[in-house]
Formats: sequence, structure tokens, C-alpha cells
Amino acid sequence: MRPSARPNKRSALLRGAVGFLLACTMIARSVVGVTAVPVASVSITVVGPDKKPIPGAVITVHVLGSEGRPVVPVKATVDQINRAFEPDLLVIPVGSTVEFPNSDSVSHQIYSFSPAKRFQLPLYRGTAYPPVRFDQAGVVTLGCNIHDEMLAYLVVTDAQYFGRTNASGTWTTEIPRGKYRISVWHPRMNDDASELDRELTVGDDDVHWTLRLAKSLRPAPLGPHPHSWDAY
Amino acid sequence: MRIPRALRVPRSAVAPLIVAAFAFCANAYGASGSAPDWEIDLDARWVTSNSEASAYDGGPGTLRFSEDQKGLQLGRIRLALNQNLGDLWSAHLDASVWDDHEKNPIDLTEAYLQWRPYPFDGLRARVKAGAFYAPISLENRTSGWETPYTLTPSAINTWVGEELRTIGIETQIDWLGTRTGHLFDVGLTAAVYGWNDPAGTELAYWGFSFNDRQTTLFGRVGQPGQQPQPASTLFREIDGRAGAYAGVEVRYLDRVVLRALHYDNRSDPHESQLAPKSFSWLTRFDSAGIRAESSSGWTGIAQWLKGNTYITPVTTRLGWPFEAKFLLVSRRAGPHTFSIRYDRFDVWREPGQGDDGTQHGHAWTAAYIFEPTARWRFTLEWIDVTSTAESREDYYGYDALAHEHQLQAQFRYALGPAAAP
Repeated sequence: MRPSARPNKRSALLRGAVGFLLACTMIARSVVGVTAVPVASVSITVVGPDKKPIPGAVITVHVLGSEGRPVVPVKATVDQINRAFEPDLLVIPVGSTVEFPNSDSVSHQIYSFSPAKRFQLPLYRGTAYPPVRFDQAGVVTLGCNIHDEMLAYLVVTDAQYFGRTNASGTWTTEIPRGKYRISVWHPRMNDDASELDRELTVGDDDVHWTLRLAKSLRPAPLGPHPHSWDAY
Repeated sequence: MRIPRALRVPRSAVAPLIVAAFAFCANAYGASGSAPDWEIDLDARWVTSNSEASAYDGGPGTLRFSEDQKGLQLGRIRLALNQNLGDLWSAHLDASVWDDHEKNPIDLTEAYLQWRPYPFDGLRARVKAGAFYAPISLENRTSGWETPYTLTPSAINTWVGEELRTIGIETQIDWLGTRTGHLFDVGLTAAVYGWNDPAGTELAYWGFSFNDRQTTLFGRVGQPGQQPQPASTLFREIDGRAGAYAGVEVRYLDRVVLRALHYDNRSDPHESQLAPKSFSWLTRFDSAGIRAESSSGWTGIAQWLKGNTYITPVTTRLGWPFEAKFLLVSRRAGPHTFSIRYDRFDVWREPGQGDDGTQHGHAWTAAYIFEPTARWRFTLEWIDVTSTAESREDYYGYDALAHEHQLQAQFRYALGPAAAP
């Protein structure tokens, strides 16, 4: 009987530790005034037709049937470094502002003619420009009127939850019970994004979903060239 | 369309014009708040060659450097300036020093104003006015109209650099499909220009060659007193008729570029200027090319050009049909680039007009480029040309058939913000 006594002792200790942690969590929540809403872990993995993971895909999660928590605008930065946008993809909530500094020693003239935000901004060396505000949801494609090879995307979203898949093609978050619409987007995606929308009902159990693209991604842009190419 | 003869610039005004243009751009900084993007390139070569003197130096050689120019040589000193003039306009100046046989010690290869409005709903317009290159070459894609694959451009693009310059207005309309979720961009180009009536002279007298030196706007080809054509200025207006070209470019993402262009300088082949005797050459050609690049660093380029150049010295129209093509394969791995190119080129005569000026040949070029930083570039290039040219025998007394080769080592340093952002 001695061998079985040890596991019992261990499980009692484990139960005690879990109970203590739960108690701490409840005390902490009551102290900071956060309502204890049951949440579930939602994990979305995006794969290509060959089942290989797709890193960098943008996942947005909209609450269905109720308002959900309001989106909080942020202040973000897209720099110009070595004739390239840095970062080349940014997901921001509606109402956010983005600064466009120019760390290069050459001038840039950035623009977007995307319906979600049309703007033009000359970025001359040594001059600061006010941030640009993005008030409408949608994908904003950024280009430079001087350097055609420069390309970047801003995904302006009114979704309550959003993020990008990691190197394993997975994005994980915790969301409360309820109904949601999950959307996937990637700048090199050939699939129609609306066909990839899925409805998700979150209950008590964790969710692990795999979304498979029907078409392969377009080839990635070629790496940056050492100096000013395609001047002709 | 007629071109006013009053627009011709006297040669003595070249140096002051260049200085004034650069000063204008520098001053525009204060007006626009935009600092000029400038660049100075210093390019030295160590050369060994068995070639005769090039056409620029008044000889029948198909290579830039001759047997007499072994050792250390100046490759190029280049001064370039890009100045924004407000948001929509910009000025571009490219001046070069090639070597001491040039008429002007420093001269312009390009000088133009560009109107570049921001794209609207996926469409973009660009207008250039001044002197610049037509969109023909798929090799010469880096600043200063240089090629990142070799030192010496192909036969086709050597000829473009030697005899063609658009001195006029070019309009380009692009549909930017890749910015609106599509796989392709499509561009249409059209230009009207003047000062290109002697284009074709070099092909008819010497044929195709391999030379990275570009004819400057106020410079010359050939040397005084040299046959078959003494020193001549190529960018001149003789008949007062404007030329035109139209082209199309299709791009698949940033991987593949297709270009096609029809060029017609619309010269009147009956026209000639007596002092010095210089004909108005009617030159027409079609060119097409493709460039494909892979993410693993491979690049393939094929270009083709076919046309004819005519003069009518008395009553008979004399014609020199010409054709050239090349295939280039290049592999880039980090700072290292290896390239190999095969060229074929021919200049014929119209039936029944003998063989004066005919040329047939092919060439192999191999190059290794090492670019440790954006400012430094070291190149080793071997070029081997086998050609039969009647002018070599008729005017110089050499064998028409020649095997020429040239080995160059290049040491290049670039200064300025435009060289390394």
C-alpha cells in the first residue's frame, strides 16, 4: 500500500496549490474590479493547400449578436529603412494613428489609394510630419511614389480581437463565451478572403481550429537590392 | 511635327549649363524643403585587351579599351543629382567624366524634369521632359544606366547608350494591378523627341560593339580626321522632324518584366548637313525583352532588337538592316554575383547594295561582382568577341575577321545619400 500513498499525497498538494492560485486570482479580480467572465482559449492555425503552416496571417475576431468590448485605438509607427517600410504589415484598431518617420537619407513620397484610406505624404529628409489617422476598417496598401519596390499593408480593423499567426501558423487568444466571426487575411493570399470567414461559438471548452487555404500564396517579394535598382 | 532650330544649344555652353543645372537643383532645396539626393561614383579599371581602338576613339575595335590602353584606366566619374521640386516635380541630372578623348571633360548623359503625380485608383501617370533613356534595356537598371550583372552591356544596349537618347517628352501610364490585389502591372509609354537624326551612323559605319561608355549629350563619337566617319555629334536635329516611339511593359509581381517597343526617328533620309557632312539617318526598329528573377537569386534576361537604318545621299536609298539578341543568366548569392551572357549581332545591306558596313559576330561575357557594401563594388569581367566587319578591312586595312578579348577589374566607390540610403 505504500507506493499508492505517495500519489495521493501529491494530488492533495496539487489540489491545494490550484485552489490557492484560484483564490488569489479571484481576490485579484475583485480588487481591480474586473468581472470574472468565463473565457476559453481559442487557437487558430492557418495552413496552405499543402498543409504547411502560414506564418504572418492576420486573424480578426468579431463579436456577433452583441456589441462586445469597444476597440481601443493605438499609436503606431511605420518607418522607412533602406528603401523599405518597417514593418511591412501592421494590424491596428479603427481610430488609430500611425507615424511615418523617414530613417533613410533619401526622400520618400508615400501614398495609399485604398478605399479605406486615401492619403499622400512626402517624407523628406530631416522633416517631421504629423501622424495619419485611420478611421475606416479595411486593408490600406502603402506605396512610395519614388521607389516602386516599396510595399506595405495596414490592416485597419474594428474587430474586438485580432493578431497574426506565428512561425507555426498559429494564433492563440482567450475570449469569453459567445458567437464570433473569424476572418483570415494574408497579403499574398490568392483565396477570396470572404470565403474563409467562419462562425465560431465559444463555450466552456477550448477551441483548436485549422483553417486551410484553397490556393497557394503568391511568391514573396524578392529581397532588397543593394542599391537603387529599377531606376530605368 | 517640326522642331524649332532655335532650340539648339551651342557646345561652348555645356560646362556652364551643367554647373547652372546643378546649382539650380541645390537651390531648389531651400524652396521645397527637400534635400537633394546626390551621388558621386568613382570607378577605376585595370585593363588588358587585344582590341583595336573603339569607335569613340576613332577605331574599328568592338571593345571599350584597346591594346594600347592596358593597365590602369578611368572607368567613370559620375555625379548625379535628384531634386524634388515640390511634391509632383523632380529634376534629374547625370553627368560623367569618361576619359581624356572626350570632347568635353565633363558632360551630361541624362538631364530631365519629371512630373510624377501620386497614383489614383490604381492608375499612375508619369511625364519626363528633357534628355533620358527610352525603356529598352532590361540590363541597365541601376542608377547611371549601369548594369548590375556585368560591366559591359550587351551589343543591343551598348548601341542604345551610344546612339539613342530621347531628347523630348515621354508619357507613361501605368495600371498598378499588384497594388489592388492582382498579379500584374501594365504600363504604356509613348514619346516624341528630336535631336536624334544621326542615330544609325555608328551601326552603318562600324556595327555593333561592347562598351559601357555612354555618349554624352554634347559629346562626340570618333576622333577628328578619322575615317570612315570623323568625329561626329550624334544628338543633333537635321531635318526638323520629330521622332516617336511607343512601348508596352507588363510585370508579373516583381518577378517577370516583359518589354516591347517600336522606335522610329522619322528622319528624312534625303537631308544632310554639309559641314561636317552628316546625313539624316532614318532609323526604325522593334525591340522586345524579358527579365525573370527567382527568390533563390537567379536572373535570366533575353533581349532582341531588329530594324533598319537608311540614308539617301543622291537618289538611291541605301539601307543597313540590323539585328541583335542576347541571353544572360546571372546568380546572386549575398554580396556575390556571377553572370554569363551570349550575344549575336548582324548588320546587313539591302539586296544589291554590296557589303559596305556589314558586320556579323557573336560574343561571350563572364563577370563576377563582389559588393561588400552599397558603396563598394569590385568586378572582374572577361569579354570575348568574334566578328567579321567589312569596315575593318575597307577603312583600316585590317582583316575583316577579328577575335577580340578584354579583361577588366573594376574598383568602384560611391559617395552620397543616393548611393546608400
